[in-house]
Amino acid sequence: MTFRWSYGRIAHVLLWCSLAIALLTVSIRRIYSGATEYPLRPGGALHTTDSYLKFATGAEGASKNVIAIFDAMPASKPVVIFMRKGDSYSSGLGMTAAYLASPHAVRLCEIDGATPDKQLSLIDPARIAGVVLCRVSRPASFPAGKKFGAGFEIISMPKNG
Amino acid sequence: MNAVGLVGAFATLFAAGYGLLGLLIRNSIRLNPAEQIGFSWLFGTGTISLLLWIFGFVAHGALLQGLVSVVCLLFGIVGWRLKIPWQSRGRLRAIDGFLVAIIALEVAIIFCLSFVHTLGWDGLLNWEIKARYAFANGGVLPASYFSDAGRAFSHPEYPLAIPFNELWLYLWVGESNQFYAKTIFPMFYLVTTFLLAGFAARLSRKTWVGLLVAALLFFVPQLTVEVGCASGGYADFPLSVFYLAAVGCLFCAAERGNSGFFRLYAACLALLPWVKRDGLILWAVAAACGVLVILRTKKSAASFLIFIPGLLIICAWRFYLNAMHALQAADFLPFNLETVRTHLDRAQPLFSALLAEFGDLSTWSFFWFIVAVAILYCLPRMRSAGVLALLVALVAPIILYLSLYLFSSWQNYLEHVGLSISRLLMQVAPVGFLLIVLAISGRSQKRPSALRMEDDATCVIARSERTAVVELA
Repeated sequence: MTFRWSYGRIAHVLLWCSLAIALLTVSIRRIYSGATEYPLRPGGALHTTDSYLKFATGAEGASKNVIAIFDAMPASKPVVIFMRKGDSYSSGLGMTAAYLASPHAVRLCEIDGATPDKQLSLIDPARIAGVVLCRVSRPASFPAGKKFGAGFEIISMPKNG
Repeated sequence: MNAVGLVGAFATLFAAGYGLLGLLIRNSIRLNPAEQIGFSWLFGTGTISLLLWIFGFVAHGALLQGLVSVVCLLFGIVGWRLKIPWQSRGRLRAIDGFLVAIIALEVAIIFCLSFVHTLGWDGLLNWEIKARYAFANGGVLPASYFSDAGRAFSHPEYPLAIPFNELWLYLWVGESNQFYAKTIFPMFYLVTTFLLAGFAARLSRKTWVGLLVAALLFFVPQLTVEVGCASGGYADFPLSVFYLAAVGCLFCAAERGNSGFFRLYAACLALLPWVKRDGLILWAVAAACGVLVILRTKKSAASFLIFIPGLLIICAWRFYLNAMHALQAADFLPFNLETVRTHLDRAQPLFSALLAEFGDLSTWSFFWFIVAVAILYCLPRMRSAGVLALLVALVAPIILYLSLYLFSSWQNYLEHVGLSISRLLMQVAPVGFLLIVLAISGRSQKRPSALRMEDDATCVIARSERTAVVELA
């Protein structure tokens, strides 16, 4: 039996085998580390928001309680969410709060300082349902709200106020 | 109860897709079971989301779900009556069986990863948010959502293919559930392996080559474990599957008279702009490739009618957004020559960023280097309409996406590039695998052989170099 492969064909096969081996060699380690980075964890209806809130604030299973607070607020009034400018964690918390606050309308406000004193002084409390503070401090004059871990506080406005 | 609901959702989805598949190919081509499942999934997801959107104008709640379910079942009955021709491959060889086992393991890993990972940032706040709000509103997105400045970060102008498939699951299980929403995404990976194996087998005439390429798909880290990968909740990977299907079908349709694949191409093309806004660019490129194939293969002028469904979807969605006074994203500056002129200095840094992305081994391994080698292999074969279309389908979107960043309104446009370019390249990555298959199989076709039409399911690789017709038995 004679060997009928030409040199060109041998080179072709060697080239593509080498490329495939190179691809596998580099990617296997990366894929293994990416695949084993996080353990299997129980799912849930609020799986993603719970994960993010735990990552950002340390609070476990917070989404359901956050939704319950928003549900207790009057639906016709908006929720004001304060975030710190340039702080990606704060922005993430703010957007997560906006996601969970539905069907309330939301207003997202980025502030430069540590507390939204100036912004809150311009808002009539009777016209909003609540305030969310995302890694910004509550003004001393403002009533305390429900805190979730570190840096996430939801304050419900009095219904009659 | 939730499991039963999920089964119902998936069953109606597949029924709709299978019926549409049967109507499109009308016994003109044979597809193996994996390809039938793949196309049924794609057409099912498109059909369900479009039906929910359209019927949502006149119905909501249980009536909406009932109407859509009835239409899906009717499609399913049509598909069953049409009996899509089954392509049998004969006995599986040992190498084929080994590769199938590898692919099965990879798909299982992707399913596991999808349940470990969260939906991801965009997956939650751009896509699932629409499903959640629509579910809370009886299956219809509230009009106020589109003009809500507080939720403008969620891109209300994004199309609804992915969110409304998540909504379909929610309607069947009776609750909005971020965990169940994730079941959609590994399905797209499964479908990618099916379609890639099918197209690659047709291109190379070897089943084991198709299965090998489908197995290698797993080893591109961006597709498997990186941000926006197949196991996340982003729309980029699903978009890449539709694009793969459109381009692969177009390539097969380049064979004169293969109208079945041409109709499949038309259907996949129409759904591109419905999956993601970037799909508009892919639609334009794939449509241009379609025009190229129509002209080169001298198809009839009626062939141009295939672009109408996609145009209808684009116009209808644009009209709907205007009617809803939807807020537009502020990520880009006005698209005009003045903006180009003032931002032309970005061109060189953008090109450098692209090269850096191609060379990022932790994200792409050697994938893009291999694609570059494949392109060099295919350049001498550019006289073939199919090969030229494939090259354009891969390269043109990359150039267009890069050009988009000239219009970025971000203060640091390179940050904009860094956050999104991997996912944009992922949209065309599966098409790169088709090019690789062409390169691998082209060298082995030393001598042309006579055309052999064993059945209707054939796909000529390159008429100009007289390669043999693909055997599908």
